[in-house]
Amino acid sequence: MRIGLRLQGTSCRALVLDGHSVVAAAAAVRCTTLAEAVDTTFEELRHELGTEITKVTDITSDAGRVLVARKPASVIAIRISPRPPADAFHVTGLPALVEPVVARTVHVGGGHDLRGRPLAPLGLEAFLAELPGILSGEVRNIAITSVGSTASKDHETRIADAILSSDSEMRISISSDFYSSVFRDRDYTAILNSALMETGEDLAAMLDASGRRHFPSATMWFAKNDGGRAPLARLAVIPIHGLRPEPAMQILGAATLAGAPDGEVVICADSGVTVGQIRGGLPATRSVIRQGYEASLASNAAVVEPYTADHPVRPAVPSVIADLRSGQDTPLPFGLVPTLAAAHDAGQVGSAVAPLTAWIDRLETVSGRADLQLVQRRAEEDAESAAVQLGASPGLTRIIESNVYAMPYGNPGIVRIRVQAAGEVSGDTIEDAAEIHVRTPFGAGEGASRWAPC
Amino acid sequence: MGALLTAEDVRHLRTGAHFLACTIDPTAIYVYAEMIEKAMENRALELISIDELAPDDLVVAIGMVTQGLFIADMPPVGDEFIGCIRAIEANLGRQVRAIYSLAAANINGIVPLMVGLQSSLPVIDSDPMGRVFPLISQTTLNIGHVPISPIALMGVTGERAVVEAHNPQRAETLVRALVTEMGGWAATAMYPCSAGQMREHGVHGSISRMIRIGEILDAETSVDRKFQQLAEFLGATRIARARVSHVEGLSRPSDLGLPALPSSVTLVDERSGQIIRLEIQNEILLVLVDGAIAAAVPDIVSLLNSEHGTVVNIDDVRVGDVIDVLKITAAAQWYSKAGLDLAEPKAFGIPIEHPRRHHA
Repeated sequence: MRIGLRLQGTSCRALVLDGHSVVAAAAAVRCTTLAEAVDTTFEELRHELGTEITKVTDITSDAGRVLVARKPASVIAIRISPRPPADAFHVTGLPALVEPVVARTVHVGGGHDLRGRPLAPLGLEAFLAELPGILSGEVRNIAITSVGSTASKDHETRIADAILSSDSEMRISISSDFYSSVFRDRDYTAILNSALMETGEDLAAMLDASGRRHFPSATMWFAKNDGGRAPLARLAVIPIHGLRPEPAMQILGAATLAGAPDGEVVICADSGVTVGQIRGGLPATRSVIRQGYEASLASNAAVVEPYTADHPVRPAVPSVIADLRSGQDTPLPFGLVPTLAAAHDAGQVGSAVAPLTAWIDRLETVSGRADLQLVQRRAEEDAESAAVQLGASPGLTRIIESNVYAMPYGNPGIVRIRVQAAGEVSGDTIEDAAEIHVRTPFGAGEGASRWAPC
Repeated sequence: MGALLTAEDVRHLRTGAHFLACTIDPTAIYVYAEMIEKAMENRALELISIDELAPDDLVVAIGMVTQGLFIADMPPVGDEFIGCIRAIEANLGRQVRAIYSLAAANINGIVPLMVGLQSSLPVIDSDPMGRVFPLISQTTLNIGHVPISPIALMGVTGERAVVEAHNPQRAETLVRALVTEMGGWAATAMYPCSAGQMREHGVHGSISRMIRIGEILDAETSVDRKFQQLAEFLGATRIARARVSHVEGLSRPSDLGLPALPSSVTLVDERSGQIIRLEIQNEILLVLVDGAIAAAVPDIVSLLNSEHGTVVNIDDVRVGDVIDVLKITAAAQWYSKAGLDLAEPKAFGIPIEHPRRHHA
C-alpha cells in the first residue's frame, strides 16, 4: 500500500492506494500546527486500516504548498566570475520575490569555459580573507554560482569546502547541482534552494518522526516537480525539486486513474484548463520552470500549458480529460467532455504512485556519431544507477527520456546529454494499471475539510 | 533628430529579435531588454535613419561573437563594448559617430541599444545581415566589398584584441579562435565604415522591423490574426502546421569551422500527410516538404506555437508538439550570386543550391 499526502498551511490530506485501488481517502485535517495535522491524519489512517497498516510500504508527501508559503531564510549569494559587474545594470537580476532574500552578495574571481578550462584563477585567498566576516553574521545559508559550472564545478566546490572547513553547520547550495546553461537561472535556483533548506529540513524531520511513529515499516518520500519521488531526507538538501510538484502529480494521478500511461492529459480545475502529456507513465518535462521573462528555476518539471480553443486535437492519441473542479454542475469550457470525474484528488493519487526518478544532465565532448552513442549509453547507465542509489530495484529501472542537444554557437564536439530514469522498489507501475478500482473512502466527503480534535 | 524609443518598443524588440532568430535560448535577449529598460529610466535612446548622418561619418557594427559558453552563462561585465569602440577609434584615429547592429535578430538585434545608452551614440536603424547568420563574413557589407577590419574584441575577462585581416573569411577564423579562448563570447566592433557605405550596402529599417514584429506577436489576438499580420508586413508564408515526430542531434557530418553541431527535426502534417524536415545548425537552414525544398538559407525560417502564437525555441521542440513553420524572404542582396555564394545551404555544408540560384 502507498499513501499520497498533501501538506498545506497547518492542514494535511491523505489518500491510500493498494496496488491500483484507492482504499482510503481522508478529508483535509486542519490543526493548529502542521505536525499535529500530519499526526492526526496518520492516526486516522491507522484506525481505518487496522491490521493492514503493516502493508503500507511508501508514504510520499507533496510539500510544495508549504515550501511556497513559508518565509524563505536569508542567503549570502557568492558569485564566481572572471570580473565583477562594472555597473548596476549588469548585476545579475533576481525575481522581485527572491531579491530581498539575498542579505549579501560576494564576488569571487574565477569561472570556467564550456571546455572546463579556467577563465581566471579562483580568488580563494581573497575569499578566505572575507570569510570570517561572512561567518560572523546571522545568515547560515549560502548559495554559490560560478560561470561555466555546467562544464566544471571545481570553483564552486572549492569555495564550498573552504566555508565548510571553517563552519560545517552552514547550509550551502551550489549551482552545479541544477542544470541550466543560464547563469542567472542557476544563481536564482541555488539561492532559493538555499533559502528553503531550513524549511525542508524541518519538514523532513517532522514527517519522518510522524511516519516512524505510525507506519514504522513504511519508507518516507517527497513528491518532485517532475512527477517522481525522492527519499524524504533529500528534501533538506534539494527542496527546490519539491517546490511545485502539484501540476505533475495531477497529470500523473489523472493518467493513473484513467489507466493511460501515454497520451494527453487535460486538467480542468477551478483556476482554468491546462494540458500536459504523459509518456511512459511519467509527465513530459522541461528542465526549467519558466517564469515569463524573469529567471527560470532550474528544476525538471512537468510541461503544463493553458488549454485554448485552438488546441490541436489528435484523434489517434488517447486523451484524459479530468474534471477536478470543486463544483461540476456547469459544463466544461471549450466543449470538453470529461472522461474522468473528480472522484479522487488526482494530485494525491499522483503522489502515491510517483516512481523514483533520477536525472543525468551534463555536457560531453564527442568526436562523432559512434562516440555520441557511447556517451549517451553511459549517461543512461548513470541515470539508472542514480535511481538505484535512491532506492529503486535494479531490475525495475527504465529510461524514460534520453536526448542529445547540439549547443548553438558552442565549441565543436560539445553536446548536452539529458537522461531521465525511473525506478520502483517493487512492482505496480502506472503501466501495469488497467484501471483503478475504487473502494468506499473513509472520513468526510472528498473535497471537504474539517478541524480535527488536535 | 531620430526617434526616441520607449520601454514598450524595447519589449516588442525583444520579441521581434527572438522571432527572427527562432533562437535556442532567448534568455540573453531578455536580460538585455531588462537592462536597457532600466538604463532608459534616466537616459534617452535615439534610433536614427542612416540618412540622418553625413556620408563621411564613421559608423561601426556592434555585436557579440560566440563560440563556447552562452552569453547568458557568462554575463557581460558591462565595459566590453565601450572598450571595443575606443579601440576602433584609437586604431583609425577618428571618432565613431553612430553604431549599428551586427545582425537583425537574436542577441545582436538588441545589444546595440544598451551600447547606445552607455556611449551616448545614436543607434542606426540598419544592419549588415537583415537577419542573423553565424559567421561574421556573412554580411551584405562583405557582398559590397566593405572591409571588415579592424575588428576590436573584448571578453568578459577584460582581455582585448584588435584583428586586422583583409579577407573576411580569414577574419572569421581568427576572431572565432580568439573568442573561444576568451571564454566563449566576445563583444566586438567591426566593419567600421562611412555612413555612405552603410547606406549603399546595408539592410535598412532593421530595428523598427523587429519592433513591429514584436507588436504583432505580443498582441492579445488569435494565432491566425497574428499570422495574417505577419504575412502582410513581412510577406511571411506558412510552410506547414505540423506535429514533431522526431528530433535528432548530430544528424549530419560537419567539418567546417561553423559553431554548433547540426541537428534535424522531422514533422508530419496530419491533414495532408506531408513529411516536413528541418535541418538546423544554430538557425534553421533548410526546410524540405516531402523531399522538395520549401525554404533554404538565406530564407528566414521561424517557428510559432500553433496554439498560442508564441515563438518556439528550437531547444524546446519536443516530439508531439504542433508548430507552424514560417518562411520569410531575406534582404534582396542575399539572392544575388555573391549573396548566395556566402549564405546558401552549400555554405553550411549542405550540398544543395538555393532554388533562386539560377535566377541570381
